[in-house]
Amino acid sequence: MKHLLLTAAATLLLNPVSAFADDLLSRIKADGVLTVGTEARFPPFEFVENGEIVGYSADIMDVLMASALPEVELKRLDLPWQGILPGLAAERFDYVVTSVTVTPERRDAYYLSVPIADATMAVLKRAGDDSISAPADMAGKPVGSQAGSAQLAALEGYAETLGDAPKVSTYTDFSEAYADLAAGRIDAVVNSLPNLLEAARQRPDIFEVVVPTFGEPKYFSWAGRTDEDSASLNALFDAELKRLIEDGTLAQLQEKWFGGAMNLPSALPTK
Amino acid sequence: MLDLLIDNQAVLIEGVLTTLGVSFLAIALGAPLGLILATASRQNNGLVRRSARVYVSFWRGTPILVQLLLIFYLLPAIGINLPPTLAAVVALACNTAAFQSEIYRAGLAAVPEGEVEAAQMLGLSSRQILTKIEAPQAIRIMLPALVGETLALVRNSSLISVIAVTDLTRRAQQIASSTFQPLDSYMIALILYVAIALALSAIGMMLERRLKQQEAH
Repeated sequence: MKHLLLTAAATLLLNPVSAFADDLLSRIKADGVLTVGTEARFPPFEFVENGEIVGYSADIMDVLMASALPEVELKRLDLPWQGILPGLAAERFDYVVTSVTVTPERRDAYYLSVPIADATMAVLKRAGDDSISAPADMAGKPVGSQAGSAQLAALEGYAETLGDAPKVSTYTDFSEAYADLAAGRIDAVVNSLPNLLEAARQRPDIFEVVVPTFGEPKYFSWAGRTDEDSASLNALFDAELKRLIEDGTLAQLQEKWFGGAMNLPSALPTK
Repeated sequence: MLDLLIDNQAVLIEGVLTTLGVSFLAIALGAPLGLILATASRQNNGLVRRSARVYVSFWRGTPILVQLLLIFYLLPAIGINLPPTLAAVVALACNTAAFQSEIYRAGLAAVPEGEVEAAQMLGLSSRQILTKIEAPQAIRIMLPALVGETLALVRNSSLISVIAVTDLTRRAQQIASSTFQPLDSYMIALILYVAIALALSAIGMMLERRLKQQEAH
């Protein structure tokens, strides 16, 4: 009882308005702040330039906030990928605006939004490395990906189909994997195609993308919690993203950030 | 590397200020807590002494990364929801308090027993003994260790980005991933950390010299 009272008092003190509102979306509107979690190390989707988080998702959020939540301030926390989904579950933020690769396991644990981009897997190699000309050439070679990522899972799944399994190293984020590729410690990095194209575009002297892609088509989405409290916020994001896909806004932004429009469904494919 | 430094100087300065701000707040909050712990571990009361020992063992014996995650992700479960920067300060303060208490304890223990006894014989009160006999000598003994602890804390603060505080290390990581030039970005961070360490050591040396002069008078 004493604990309950203390908790209630603390909640009231810290959050005078929200203590009485009924669900997450109405609390966000009442407080005037939407807090989202982002891993701002994923160019061109979300990265930091001059101290600001910019990129494809930042542009989408600008459009979305102006039309759906004009009175609300957007607070974007930057934290490592490994803290993103746990932080969402621990209610450290209301929603995840960072590229989450859609997997069946994640669809069970989180509410994944309408897709925001194509995430099909591809391979990055050192420029001019003739020993890798297709994904299957990774067999027996040291390769890298990000710990806890769907890309790593895809790589491990694909590795099993190769006779001579690649030696997989994992990194806290893709930047370290790219650095190790440049340093020659690994021979390939597996990530989604849009990210690899950006790496090769920025450092064409060092990196080269191996075509074709491998595995099934995959998508990036954003994520919310599955509880009832979050349902109206999830619905708001879905409705807005669907509208932006259908009216061509997302295609325009893809043109701007990826150099070409992607073919996106306006809902996630059924499991 | 110079272009990278010039292009990103504003955010790098912000990163340095965050690193310094969080570290100094943690040191300042940890100091009184450390003194309380040091006093408690000298008490005759077994329960007080043992509680202090358990606290010190816990915070000295577990990784800072785990301590940060504990404060940030587990405290909300019991209704305490600290914003990222505050959570970082609290975690680092709790951590440095444990280390500082050991420094204070060792410093006080280093004052020869005979001097305290002599002061008691002369009729000095225990407060006078602390302020006139023990503290002046202990401070001189403790100062190098306290400077070392401050340097250690600045280094340890490079972990706070895991709970969404954008410190110097995180800034370097952000620059590394948007420019795809990791080596240069981390080199810049390294140089800035070295500069901070040199400045702090210089301040420590200056304080030591001043204490020595006082003693000579």
